[in-house]
Amino acid sequence: MRMLAAAVAIAALALPAGAATPPTKTPGALTVALEMPSAGFQVGVVRGRTVILARGLEVDLAAQVAKRLGLRVRFVNEPAFSKLVTAGPKDWDLAIAQISVTPERARRVDFSTPYLEADQGVLVRVGVKPVPRSIAALRKLVVCAQRGTTGEAIVTNRINPTRKPLFPADLSVLLYDLFAKRCDAVVFDAPTLAVLRREAPDRYGPLVGRIPTRERYAIAFEKGSPLRTRVNAALRAIARDGTLARLRQRWLGADTARLPVLR
Amino acid sequence: MPARLCVAAALCAAVVLPPAAAAPRAATVKVAFLQGEQVVYVDRPGSTVAAAVRGLLAGPTGTEKTQGIKSQLPAGTPLRGVSVRRGVATIDVGIKFASGSRAESLTARVAQLVLTATRVPNVRSVRLLVKGGTPLGLFPGILASFPLTAKSVTAPPRMPPPAPAPQQPKPPSAATRALQQRLADLGYMQADEVDGRPGPRTTSAVVAFQKWSGLTRDGVAGPATRAALSSATRPTPTRPGSGRRVEVLLDRQLTLVIDGARVTRILDVSSGKPGYDTPVGSWKVFRKEVRSWSVPYKVWLPWASYFVGGVAFHEYPDVPPSPASHGCVRVPRWDAQWLYTQTPVGTPVTVIASSR
Repeated sequence: MRMLAAAVAIAALALPAGAATPPTKTPGALTVALEMPSAGFQVGVVRGRTVILARGLEVDLAAQVAKRLGLRVRFVNEPAFSKLVTAGPKDWDLAIAQISVTPERARRVDFSTPYLEADQGVLVRVGVKPVPRSIAALRKLVVCAQRGTTGEAIVTNRINPTRKPLFPADLSVLLYDLFAKRCDAVVFDAPTLAVLRREAPDRYGPLVGRIPTRERYAIAFEKGSPLRTRVNAALRAIARDGTLARLRQRWLGADTARLPVLR
Repeated sequence: MPARLCVAAALCAAVVLPPAAAAPRAATVKVAFLQGEQVVYVDRPGSTVAAAVRGLLAGPTGTEKTQGIKSQLPAGTPLRGVSVRRGVATIDVGIKFASGSRAESLTARVAQLVLTATRVPNVRSVRLLVKGGTPLGLFPGILASFPLTAKSVTAPPRMPPPAPAPQQPKPPSAATRALQQRLADLGYMQADEVDGRPGPRTTSAVVAFQKWSGLTRDGVAGPATRAALSSATRPTPTRPGSGRRVEVLLDRQLTLVIDGARVTRILDVSSGKPGYDTPVGSWKVFRKEVRSWSVPYKVWLPWASYFVGGVAFHEYPDVPPSPASHGCVRVPRWDAQWLYTQTPVGTPVTVIASSR
């Protein structure tokens, strides 16, 4: 009881002067909706909707936002992604789950400023020499992508390789082809490639760069949420002081936002 | 030869040695540890899932460790609870069970837990709880929302094993042909591989020669390597013996295929990295699989010849000049099938730490 009182007192002290406690669903707490799992971004342990434990880039980012709003953070897990971006009232304050900003979604929910540009990344196999640093260099390699993805379109239309590319239907087959050296390079979502490489560093060569697609991940709120401006201010501070870059490096194994752009 | 040590659940019956005498034995459970690229089972006292899981969490003994037996479960992982109902063992472990970021370790420890529990009679599957809840995404590629069966952690994916990579041969040259011929005369290549074309195969033979001669392992036939090549003789066996046999030289990262007193071939290989050391000793090839699947580490191992527990010679896409494997002996693509055909079951394999 005493500890609780102390915690509340400290939380109150942490508030910036003049700022009232932000209006949240549960006073004093920021309730954050997740949709686990997503490797590197959010994994953990649940009992029903209750999150017992969570870790990952988005978990740490939400905790940082809460801290800077002077709130404690609690997580709930939504088993269906669609629930995060449907219109109507929510029992959580914000949702963070690699939600791409699209005009259609923006009609149903409000979005924060983006915290990650999810470009396409280029991951090469072990032992590729020289390491490709441009689209022209990639053109001479066996460049692969998962069939039906943005990556396939980039291989076919942008890279246009001189050697026959492979387009397996399955991501695991694509990665196995890279590991088995049947592909020299693969094109896929940069954050996903970064996480896969962090999980299995012996199996792949370096993540050599990105090809911008302007896909952006942002935090979602129910329409008209009074929290949005406060969260945006917190996100700006988190980006400005280097916290965001540090979190990307920690959880993705590379700061995908700072990979060189391949031209 | 470790008694009652066997590889992969399905094959155990064939490999387990019968008890020496018919004397009554205390009840034992089988605990799934790792050796090389496979799961091996060791006996622990007890008869329940709880006893088996405790034995697993305690890790291998000192003697077992010297045989290259290890565990991917983090030391000190707490066991919060075990219950069995209708063939489903619910095993609740502390969060330490999910520590670390390496996918191969995270998936291997789940395989160890599930294979240990499902070897206990009447246990068909395992519901894995972490800190009392359902783990989501903590173990890459494993869907732990449902009870896990032995099959769910041992079955290979419906994915073809890797085929040879497409080749883009470089144009031949007389200098490369002369280099290859010299390497072939000394046993580092096959005579029919001398084609004058530079490429990874020739580089690997140069690395093998550099490893034997104590030169920098860069695969480049520079002045020092060429000078050494001009005066080199074919390597000789480092241990006396007769007939067809194989020596694995851990210090040099080479495998010698020997007939009598003559070294037939010297192969560029990569053995177990630190902490996964290939067990030193005299072994025999006991099992061969053209396409082997590594249960704990989820990878195809073409042309596998097992010689102790889960430790084998096998093909691997990446054979760096230093120890890199989980305890097996990685063989490059161009030599893997040849070595497989040259080492029938029963071929002696001597793993030597120091060959100089």
